[in-house]
Amino acid sequence: MSGPHDLGGSSGGPIDRSGHEVEDWERLADAINSALGSKGLQTTDQHRRAIESLPDYLELGYYERWAAATEKLLVEKGILSQAEIDEKAGEIERRWGGS
Amino acid sequence: MSDDNTHSHPHKEVQHERSPYASHVRAMEALLVEKGVLTEPEIQDRIAYMESRSPANGAMLVARAWTDPKFKQRLLSDAKSAARELGLDPTHEAELIVVENTPEVHNLIVCTLCSCYPRAVLGRPPDWYKSFEYRSRAVREPRAVMREFGFEPPEGVEVAVYDSTADVRYMVLPMRPPGTEGMDEEDLAALVTRDALIGVSVPRPTAPAS
Repeated sequence: MSGPHDLGGSSGGPIDRSGHEVEDWERLADAINSALGSKGLQTTDQHRRAIESLPDYLELGYYERWAAATEKLLVEKGILSQAEIDEKAGEIERRWGGS
Repeated sequence: MSDDNTHSHPHKEVQHERSPYASHVRAMEALLVEKGVLTEPEIQDRIAYMESRSPANGAMLVARAWTDPKFKQRLLSDAKSAARELGLDPTHEAELIVVENTPEVHNLIVCTLCSCYPRAVLGRPPDWYKSFEYRSRAVREPRAVMREFGFEPPEGVEVAVYDSTADVRYMVLPMRPPGTEGMDEEDLAALVTRDALIGVSVPRPTAPAS
């Protein structure tokens, strides 16, 4: 069975070689992931499984997939609840002056 | 089919103005610290660790291998301990294998499934390495991919593509270019680019004049 991540050998267009500056939230997503790993709260394989089962895998940016997968695992493991993450994220959005 | 030289970009990963995930990541950070699952210094340590990795580390390993045949043997047989010899700390790396370019074989690294890369040595992979296009095409038409980077191994040279996994990551040991006999390690290291460590390019004989 192959999922959306199983891209090897498919055809594709030209490679976009431009890079983007890593944003702070992306560094943070990376760091949280890595720190959870060091604490034995998450493994690379669990994280990959969570990434590969994202329904919107092909629409999300790279660190968006990472963040969505970490969130999913934290909720699955009962470390955080979806409700409290959503509530806190909403507070932060309001503080940032977002809609 | 192999040479699609149109300049259209049919599919790009979505980049939002501000990703909706930015607030979710901040929320996870706040909650994890609040609940004592992680501490802020632990998180900052991980950020600092990743920021301290760069392709210059790989270039240093290559330059030493070019000038010290015994070190080269150690690098090829046990890359992590060779890295430690030069003061690098690859502790957080999965298995690391260095593959040597020769006049017969040119090596290219990809991770078709995601983005596995020797991050503990080289830092974060470039965006293109994680792109759907590179991941899908590197194993299917590696020469066409390398041509897009302005490089192609001579005809008759075999191209070996290594597909990285969560457990094994690869780095290329390029060939020392001709005309560099008198150069010291530091100058040699300056010739070794990130792209050469992935295999989409090779070190050029001399650094471009500024």
